[in-house]
Amino acid sequence: MLGPYVDAYLISWVVFLPFASALGLLLANLVVGFLLRSNGLPKVVWKVTAMVASTLSFLAALLGLWSRFDPEETGYQLVERVEWLPEYGIHYFVGVDGISLVLVLLTTFLVPVALLATWNEIDRWLRSYLFFVLALETAMLGTFVALNLFQFYLLWELMLVPMLFVIGIWGGPRRVQAATKFFLFTVAGSLLMLVGLVVVYRMNFEQGGALNFDLVRAVGTAASGMPLLETVIPAQASETVPWWQTQSWLFGAFAIAFGVKVPLFPLHTWLPDAHVEAPTGGSVILAGVLLKLGAYGFLRFALPLFPDATVEWVPVVVVLSLVGIVYGSLVAMVQRDLKKLVAYSSVAHLGFVMLGIFALNLHGLTGAVLQMVNHGLATGALFVLVGFVYARRRTREIADFGGLARPMPVFACLLGVVVMASIGLPALGGFVGEFLILLGAFGAEPWAAVVATSGVVLAAAYMLWMFRRVVFGPLDKPENRGLIDLDLRERVAVGLLIVPIVWIGVHPSPLLRRIEPSVSVLLQEMELRQSRTALAANASLPESAP
Amino acid sequence: MSRVLDVAALAPLGFVALGAMSILLLEVALSRRPNPEGVAATRSPGPAARTRIGTLLAFAASGALVLAIYAACYLFEAGLQSDFGPGRPLLQLDALSSFAIALIGLGALFSVWLSITYLPAMRILHGEYYALLLLATAGMFVMVSAVDLVALYLGLELASLPTYALAGFNRRKLRSNESALKYFLVGSFTSAVLLYGMALLYGATGHTDFAGISRGFEGGGGLALAGLALMLAGLALKVAAVPFHQWAPDVYEGAPTSVTAFMAVTGKAAAFVVLLRFLVLALPELGDRVEILLAVLAALTMGIGNLMALIQDNVKRMLAYSAVAHAGYLLVGFAAGSAEAWTAVLFYLIVYLFMTVGVFCCVVALAQGGREWDSIDDFSGLAGRRPALAALLTLFLLSLAGIPGTAGFMGKFYLAVAAVNADQIALVLILVATSLVSVFYYLRLPVAMYMRRVRHGEPPETSTSEMVVLALCAAAVVYLGFFAQADPAGMGIRALDLAGRAADFLH
Repeated sequence: MLGPYVDAYLISWVVFLPFASALGLLLANLVVGFLLRSNGLPKVVWKVTAMVASTLSFLAALLGLWSRFDPEETGYQLVERVEWLPEYGIHYFVGVDGISLVLVLLTTFLVPVALLATWNEIDRWLRSYLFFVLALETAMLGTFVALNLFQFYLLWELMLVPMLFVIGIWGGPRRVQAATKFFLFTVAGSLLMLVGLVVVYRMNFEQGGALNFDLVRAVGTAASGMPLLETVIPAQASETVPWWQTQSWLFGAFAIAFGVKVPLFPLHTWLPDAHVEAPTGGSVILAGVLLKLGAYGFLRFALPLFPDATVEWVPVVVVLSLVGIVYGSLVAMVQRDLKKLVAYSSVAHLGFVMLGIFALNLHGLTGAVLQMVNHGLATGALFVLVGFVYARRRTREIADFGGLARPMPVFACLLGVVVMASIGLPALGGFVGEFLILLGAFGAEPWAAVVATSGVVLAAAYMLWMFRRVVFGPLDKPENRGLIDLDLRERVAVGLLIVPIVWIGVHPSPLLRRIEPSVSVLLQEMELRQSRTALAANASLPESAP
Repeated sequence: MSRVLDVAALAPLGFVALGAMSILLLEVALSRRPNPEGVAATRSPGPAARTRIGTLLAFAASGALVLAIYAACYLFEAGLQSDFGPGRPLLQLDALSSFAIALIGLGALFSVWLSITYLPAMRILHGEYYALLLLATAGMFVMVSAVDLVALYLGLELASLPTYALAGFNRRKLRSNESALKYFLVGSFTSAVLLYGMALLYGATGHTDFAGISRGFEGGGGLALAGLALMLAGLALKVAAVPFHQWAPDVYEGAPTSVTAFMAVTGKAAAFVVLLRFLVLALPELGDRVEILLAVLAALTMGIGNLMALIQDNVKRMLAYSAVAHAGYLLVGFAAGSAEAWTAVLFYLIVYLFMTVGVFCCVVALAQGGREWDSIDDFSGLAGRRPALAALLTLFLLSLAGIPGTAGFMGKFYLAVAAVNADQIALVLILVATSLVSVFYYLRLPVAMYMRRVRHGEPPETSTSEMVVLALCAAAVVYLGFFAQADPAGMGIRALDLAGRAADFLH
C-alpha cells in the first residue's frame, strides 16, 4: 500500500521517522547557518517539519500498522530483525502484538497533538526543544516495540535524557530540582533492572549454550541461542541456586524499575514535582506515554519472565495499587494547584492499571491496557487545557479562577467532557477500562475491587469539585473577566483528543479485539512457564535429596 | 627469533624516544634567532613566534606518536611475539603490549593536540613540554611490555620523572607547584614500596622475571606473600585505588589540564596493563586468593571515589574522584578474573580514553588569558553561548555516567556481564549503586550549562586542534556505544575483538 520500502520496514518507519527528521533538521540548520552566516533555519520551519514528521509517523502507524495487523493471529506481527551485536545476542528486533500496537498508536497520536497544543508556548531555544521531543518520541516508540531485552533497556534509559532536558530547560521555577529528581529516581530503578537483566542473560546462556537477549524466537531467522522466555528460572533458592538467581529477586529488580515509572506507591514522589515543573508538552508526554511504559514493562517482561514470583508478589502489588488509588485521590482532593491535582489523579489512575494487571485474568489485563490508552488521552487533554489557562493567566491556582464558563464557554465545555472522561462516565473511554478492571479485580480479589470502587467515587469528587471551582461560581476575579476563549488551534487540539475518548467509550470492540488475544497469550505463557519451572524443580529434587 | 625482528618490535619505543630527543634539539635551534649582526642571540623570541615554535614542536611530537601508533598497530596485526633482552627476556612484545602501546600513544597524541592552544592560553609554553610528554610516554611503553621486575621498574621511573615536571609546569601557579611536589613525594613513596616488594619477591623466589616468579612463588612462603602485597599496594597507588587515592585530587587539580588528561588516560592504562600482566603471568594460580583482596579494593574504590566526587565544586577535582571511581569499575573486572573479564577491562580502557579526553578537552577549550574555567559555576549558561561544546560535554559526561547509547555504558555492561558470570553479584550491585551516585555529580555540569543563568563573559573560540579531538572522541563514544563489536562500516575494526585478541595472549 505504501510502497515496498515502507511496507517491509513498517515499524522502523514509524519509530525512526521522528528522530530521523530531527537529525535532518539539525543538519539542515547547521548547513544553512554556515552558508548564510545566520542563526539557522527559521523557527517556523522547525515547527512545521516536526509537526509533519510526527503526523506522518501517526499516519504510518494508523494506516500501516493498524490496518496490516491481523487481530486473529496471535504472536508478534510485522517483525523485523537485524543483527546488531550478534556475538552477545543483541539484535535490533521489533514486532507488535495487540498490547504494543495500541500503545504505539497512542504515542504517535499524542506527540503531534501535544506539538499543536503548545505551538506558541515555547519560545526560548525552540529548536532544541523540538529536537528533544522528536528524539523522545523515537525512544518511546522503540521501547514499545522492542523484542530484544537489551534493546529495550537501551531505549528505556536513553529516553530519560531528552525528558531531563525538556523539564530542566523549559520547566517552571523549580525545574532543576524536579528534573534531577525525575532522572535519579528512574535511573535508580533501571540500574537494578540492569543487574537483573544480566543475571537472566547468564542463566539463559547456561541453559541455551549461546548468548541471547531475544525475548521470543524470531520466526524465519537463523537465530542461535534460546529465547529468554524459554529460560527456566527457579522459584526457590536452594543449595544449587543462589538467592540472586531466583524469580522473586529478579522480579523485584524489574518491578522496582517499572514501579518507579508507573508510578507505584510509594515510588511516586517524583511525579508531582516533574509534572508541576514540566512545560505543557512535557507533561502531556510524561503522563500520556512515559508512565505507560512502566505498566507495559510489567506486561511484556516482568510477568512472563517471572510468573511464579508474580503470583507470589500479587498481594503486595495489589495493596500498593489500592493505597495508590485511595492516597492519590485523597491528595488530589486537597491540591490548590491544577497541575498537581492532575498529577495526583495520575497516581490514582495508574493504581487502577496496576490493579488490573495484577488481577492476572483476562478482564483485568485487558481493562488495564485499555485504561492506559484512556488515561493517556484524558490526562493529556487535561494537561493541555490547564496549559491553556496557564498561558492566559500565568497561574494554576484553583483559587485564582471561578466562573470561567462565562468568558470561556468553549473551554468550560471541553473541560467538562474531559473531566467526565477522567472520572469514567459511561459512553466515554474511562468507563470501559475501569469497568473491566473492577470486573477482573472482583474475580481475583473481591475485597480489592470493593476498595478500588471507592477510588472511582473519590475521583468523581475531586474532579467535579475542581470543575465547579474553576468553571462555575461567581466571576469575582477581575483578571478573569477579559479572558479570551480558546482559538481554533486550541479547539482542534482538544477536539482531536476527545474524538478517540468518545470512540472508545461508545465502540471499544476494535481495540478490545486486538488487545484480548495478546492478553490471553500472555496468560497462557505465564501458565506454561510456571509448569515448566515446577517440572524443572521436581526433576532436580531427587538429585539434591540425600 | 632473529635480531632484526627484535629491533622492529622495539620500533614504537624508538620513535617516541627519538622524537623526544629531536624536539629538545629542535627547540634550541628554532629559538635562536640571528640578530642584525648575524650573531646568535640568547634573547628569547616574542610570544607570537613562540606560539609558532610550540605548534611546530607539537607537530613533531604528533609525528613521532603517529609513527609509534602505526608501528604498534602493524605489530598487532602481524601478530608477532618476540622477547627482547640480554640473555633473558626483559621486554615482551606481544598483542597485549602492542595494544597498550597503541592506546597509550593515542592518549599521548590527544594530549599533545590539547596542548597546542592550551599552553599559550595559559602562558606556559616551553618547548621541553613536548619532550617530557614523549619521554613519559616512552616510559609507559616500557612498562606495558615489561616481563621482568627490573624492566618494569625502569619503565615506571622513566614514566614518572617527566610527569612530575609536567604536573608543575605552571610555575607561577601555587597549586601547580603543590601538585608537582605532592605527585613527586607520593611517586617516590610508590617507587619505594614497589622496590621493596620486588626485593622481597626476588628474595623469596630467586627470580626477577615474571615466569620465574610464577614458578618459585609456591615455595616462597610468607616472604613472597609480603612481596606480593607490597607490589599490589604500589600498583594501587599508581592507579589511585582507595585507600591509596589521596594524592589524585590535588595533583589533578593543580596540574595543567592537558597534563591532567595525559595522566588520567595514559597513566591509568599503563598501570592497569602492568597489573594485568603481573597478575596473570607472575601469579597464575594465586588468582583465587588475590580475588577477594581485589574485590574489597574494587568495592572501596567505587564507593569512596563516587561519594567524594559528590561534594566537589571544582570540575578537575570532581574528575579526579571520578577517575578513582573508574579505577574501581576496572578492578571489578580484575576481581572477576576470567578471560571475558580481561577483555572487558581492556575494552573499558579504550572507552575510558575517549570519554575522559573528551571531557578534559572541553575544559581545555575554555581556557584563556592565563586562567581556566574549572569550577562548576563557571559553566553556567554555557549552552546558550557554545551550544556544540555544551552538547559534546554532556555526551561525554553521560558516557562517564554509563547512560546507554554511549561507550561508557557498553564498557560497564561488559564488566557487569563478566562479573555476574564469575558469581561476583555483590560487586555488580555495588557497581550499579555507585554508578547511580555518579549520575548525580555528572549531571551537575549539564544542569549548570543548560538550566542556569550565564555567569561569565564570552568564552574563547574553540581552536581547530580542539575541534578535531572533540569530534574524534564524540564519534568514538557514540560509535562504541552502539557498535562495540559490530562492524557496520566493513573496516574490519571491532573494538571488542581488538581487546579480546590482546587479552588472548595472557593464556
